[in-house]
Amino acid sequence: MSGPRLKLALEYDSASRGRHVRDIVQELKRLYGVRGALIVAPDGFVIAAELPGTVEVDSLAALAATLGRELETSATRMGRPAFSTALFSADDGTMFLAASRIGYIVVLAEAQVSVQAIRGALADAVALIEAAWAPGEARAWAGGVRGGRSSLRSISVGGRFGAPHVGDL
Amino acid sequence: MTILRRLWTPRDGREPLSVPDALRRAELRRREGRYVEAGALVARALEIDAGNLHAHLLAAYLHVARRATAPAKEEFHWVLGHDPNHARALLGLARIAFEERDARTCHDLLRRALSFYPEFPEASALLQLVRAREAAPPAPAVPAAPRIERLRLPGTGRALIIGRADGGLIASQPVTDDAKDVSEALAHTLQVATAVLRRAALGPLHRAIVEDRRDAVFTRTDGELIVSLALPRATDPTQGLLDVNRLWSATQHELGLAAGPPAAAPSSTPADTPGAAPTRRVS
Repeated sequence: MSGPRLKLALEYDSASRGRHVRDIVQELKRLYGVRGALIVAPDGFVIAAELPGTVEVDSLAALAATLGRELETSATRMGRPAFSTALFSADDGTMFLAASRIGYIVVLAEAQVSVQAIRGALADAVALIEAAWAPGEARAWAGGVRGGRSSLRSISVGGRFGAPHVGDL
Repeated sequence: MTILRRLWTPRDGREPLSVPDALRRAELRRREGRYVEAGALVARALEIDAGNLHAHLLAAYLHVARRATAPAKEEFHWVLGHDPNHARALLGLARIAFEERDARTCHDLLRRALSFYPEFPEASALLQLVRAREAAPPAPAVPAAPRIERLRLPGTGRALIIGRADGGLIASQPVTDDAKDVSEALAHTLQVATAVLRRAALGPLHRAIVEDRRDAVFTRTDGELIVSLALPRATDPTQGLLDVNRLWSATQHELGLAAGPPAAAPSSTPADTPGAAPTRRVS
């Protein structure tokens, strides 16, 4: 793969994942032509962000998560595979979006940025997240998703609770 | 009794944990994208205090994070059942309504949230997007007899959609039953992308490339017309953009939107696939 690579360690313990997510965002932000980056959960929650001060983080994250979900739900409706990366080019810049296990990675870049370089870096970032969250989270995640009408219990580590109004749990 | 329930030592060897502690830790895990661990902690909190509103809200968020819409809705509704003005729960349901293409419900939920908390940036941003969709200008008239049938896919092209920004389908190749749905979904996605770009102060959307494990879909738009070409994922982005640019110019020419002849751009493959079905105008 051409272009700059994200230089991050792969030794993740559970407690250091949060820091690594922030490192990933910071590394993306350092790439040539990149103005900012963030990782946002599918519910719009900002996991990590390095954005210019002129950009209101929460609003952008909410809309970026909406876009990520839109791409996912459209693919599902059409019976197509889930999107992996997307690029949206405008007059004054380009936005990249990549799907990952924990949410969407968003990169805001100059209009003339190297598409290949950013795509390569995003692929690296997704791979790093996959590596950091696998295998434990991956197994539990897949189990929860496979379970159809999924429940928190399916991704928990054996918790039991009996709240009648939350029967799904 | 309540105090005892809030500091509970389980018999399975797990460390004792109070509800606030469990929820605080769950929030931290969620902030790190550690949804499995966050889910386990929320589950423990609900074991102790099944009626904890914060725990149910967190549960809803975690379901959304796992793309599990039905249980997320259930949890958001549970929260609203106990606090009808809960702005975050209203926003959560509004986002799901948006995904489900239920613009009216989405609009109403956001208005409710903003009536209680006017300074709610996420709700404002989403409401702006919903209003922009509702206020979309009427589709421009298409000439009576456009010669769109002359457009051809590149050799490696898999599908071509020509549509309007309101989702209306002008033409497709191949002609399939779901082409109208694809055109509508494409327009919907581009509307959201436009809103994100504007929010990031990047200006109006012109081009998009969306990749999955099979295809790369190259799209060009001017805010009214949309031309979208599906090519194999391995296609070089520059070549894919050249191909969609060529089709864009040709479409404009055939629709009578451009004065001159279509711009000649080299295709990655022979421009006219031998034996390929011609593009058919459907609206």
